[in-house]
Amino acid sequence: MTLVQELRDLLGDERVLSDPLRTHVYGKDAGIRRGEVLAVVLPASTAEVVALVGIAARHGIPVVPRGAGTGLAGGTVPTSPSLVVSLTKMTHFDVDVESRSAWVEAGVLNLDLSEHAAGHGLHFAPDPSSQAACTIGGNVANNSGGPHCLAEGTTVNHVLAVEVVTARGEVVVLGGEAPDPIGLDLRGIVVGSEGTLGIVTRALVKLTPNPPAARTLLADFARVEDAAATVSGVIAGGIVPAALEMMDRLMTTAVERFVGAGFPTDAAAVLLAEVTGHPAAVEAEADLIRAVAESNGAGRVRVAADEGERALLWKGRKAAFGAVAQTAPDYYLHDAVVPRTRLVEVMAKVYEIADRFDLAMMNVFHAGDGNLHPLMAFDASQDGVMDRVQTAADELVEVCVAAGGALSGEHGIGLEKRDLMPLVFSQADLDAQARLAEAFDPDGLFNPEKVLPAGSRCFDLGRPVPAGTWI
Amino acid sequence: MTSLKSALQGRLGAFLSEPIEGLPEEAAVVAPSTLDEAAVILTLASKHTLPVLVWAGGTHQGLGGRVDPAIVLSTARLNTIVDWQPDDLTVVVEAGVRVADLEERLAERGQTAVLPEVPGDGTVGGAVAGGISGFRRLRFGPTRDRVLETDLVTGDGRIVRGGGRVVKNVTGYDLPRLAAGSLGSLGLIGRVCLKLWPLPQETRTVTLPEPRPDYGYRPLAVVEEPDRVLVFLAGTPAEMDARTAELGGRCERGLLWPGQPEGAIRLSLRVVPRLLREALTRIPSSWGYQALPGVGEVRVGASSFQLESFRELRHWAEGHGGALVVTDAPAEVYELVDPWGTPPASMDLQRRVVARFDPDRVVNPGRLPGSL
Repeated sequence: MTLVQELRDLLGDERVLSDPLRTHVYGKDAGIRRGEVLAVVLPASTAEVVALVGIAARHGIPVVPRGAGTGLAGGTVPTSPSLVVSLTKMTHFDVDVESRSAWVEAGVLNLDLSEHAAGHGLHFAPDPSSQAACTIGGNVANNSGGPHCLAEGTTVNHVLAVEVVTARGEVVVLGGEAPDPIGLDLRGIVVGSEGTLGIVTRALVKLTPNPPAARTLLADFARVEDAAATVSGVIAGGIVPAALEMMDRLMTTAVERFVGAGFPTDAAAVLLAEVTGHPAAVEAEADLIRAVAESNGAGRVRVAADEGERALLWKGRKAAFGAVAQTAPDYYLHDAVVPRTRLVEVMAKVYEIADRFDLAMMNVFHAGDGNLHPLMAFDASQDGVMDRVQTAADELVEVCVAAGGALSGEHGIGLEKRDLMPLVFSQADLDAQARLAEAFDPDGLFNPEKVLPAGSRCFDLGRPVPAGTWI
Repeated sequence: MTSLKSALQGRLGAFLSEPIEGLPEEAAVVAPSTLDEAAVILTLASKHTLPVLVWAGGTHQGLGGRVDPAIVLSTARLNTIVDWQPDDLTVVVEAGVRVADLEERLAERGQTAVLPEVPGDGTVGGAVAGGISGFRRLRFGPTRDRVLETDLVTGDGRIVRGGGRVVKNVTGYDLPRLAAGSLGSLGLIGRVCLKLWPLPQETRTVTLPEPRPDYGYRPLAVVEEPDRVLVFLAGTPAEMDARTAELGGRCERGLLWPGQPEGAIRLSLRVVPRLLREALTRIPSSWGYQALPGVGEVRVGASSFQLESFRELRHWAEGHGGALVVTDAPAEVYELVDPWGTPPASMDLQRRVVARFDPDRVVNPGRLPGSL
């Protein structure tokens, strides 16, 4: 029996897509790469995932798990004809209000969970800009972040357990509801593994109490360096705000045209800061941020007067990538992270690269975390532009790594940065990661050729392995 | 002196160290000064399948299965604060740095690594390898959340770095998370980068006569003891005034952390947070305890080991997704009961993972659940 026929027997015709017109969209994420899809399945339960993994394994067909496809690093783009498993039909969740946690199926949308939990005064802390569209399963796969990760940490800090279907078709729960589950923390390895170790069907996530009070400030600066220095100054001043976000002039201009959040378009950069907590605390912290901003040459410092104004400022921030679509037909959004004290010098180099390659470079980023998101807007139909974009992107990574940074803060490695991994890891480091992945998925069934470059696994360290050898 | 010990002393002469009190005399004690030296030692151990016990401050040696070592690897000479970047809120330290020494240094610039508050001689490596968290985990999460980078010397002597010195990172598999709480099963955690937090401007300790359903918005820590409740608060001066007024009770300045419950038997009862109240009704009245509401842990101290009560409590905890773990006890207790209890369902996978780092299973063998 053919793969597709077996899958249809399992799931019915409705939930198995093999018509190229319908599978086409699954060959891509929100980035710029495309891969080849053999078929798409939409399982509705863990048991169905187990069964379809068995079928794919018998046919020797790679399995690529997928959430909403909002990723940017090519993590869900198949590298060879694959079975794409879309988890978007798995949308149940149960909130345990007293324990402040929830068991959530992989296809639940990030924002749906927080909106539901809001009725109990709780929320799921990671809040990527794509939170209205992205799934919890995708957040787990990429260890997603978001503006409010500055104080609350990224997804891995908010996932207590994961239910995983392994390459052997086992269903294992890693982690648990009680604190400090005994044994190795395999949960922590699965989070951020980009679907290469197994299929996460459910996660037990921690829910965070909604703060009783918040102050949101917008400060504008005549120089990007002053905004960056304010970021370092606030942290050095002894507070970790709930969020500390920066946008440069090209970006605020685009956002203003798109949503009209009231961002000044004459300033070189704006800083969006938020402090949350006890009503008696937020005032003092907001004052401190204002003082640091002013001492670094801020022009206006605006404090959101009410919840409506606060929501509008955040709408402007989170709509940034949508706004870019009005500027140019194509964009390439980068993700890299540097120690926050190196922000000023790195930003200067980022603009230098944009100038040298004659690219429109906009910046919106999680400045408090040192997490940069340079965005190049362009028209891919112009001759040679893709080469310039790619070369500029590689230079950006090199600048960040040279400043002590990492390749990705929250988007993942996927295909995009796979071959850059040797910039930050030694052969021994990569080999150890490859061995670890093998323990989960010895035959490379799940999302093959992602995260680690070819040749990472060397069986006898110390002897050179020819470049490009996959053994 | 056994011939094995003298042979090892010959081979590892450069790294030999003083004997450690309370450890078997047959074991050769070595204290490498660098990760490369540790790699030499573990390569030798792996080649000859010699069990190695990693020894740091000795404060968490009660955790997990007993190890009968040929080599004791002390982290005493891996004791440097390598790189502290106060403005980045990160610090890189070697495993043998004492928690108390690190926190004292960090406090000079108003920062903390949020490591256990009453550490004794405990080291950073011990806290990370043991997955040991302090009371402040209620507000800042467990220690494992703050391990950004690890330099691991694997059981077979490779030096492997994972993670990075930045606060946010998805660059490859998250080895620091795996290393935290691994109890040496992957090898020696030689060096770590930790995420720091600023120390609060003001702190208060509020003592209440009995537990409450709610202690206000995200207190720093709450410790319920049999006869009192301690609520720890941190923030701005105005916030402290407002919050202590809201709570009532007796208020003192500063953070007056309690010592451990009395008794040679120490247990950790771990349950879903919503079951904490019920768990306390199941603890024999002769046991002392510190319950951490919102976390779901009860730290128990008892002067004698009551096997029946222990078994009943473990049975109940495991039946509800929790565990009852022996964290320290006289040797005979480890012969009566498994310190961890029923191993997790993922043991097969755990074995496969450990085999990728310590194929000959020489570092702290048998320490993990399932005698792994």
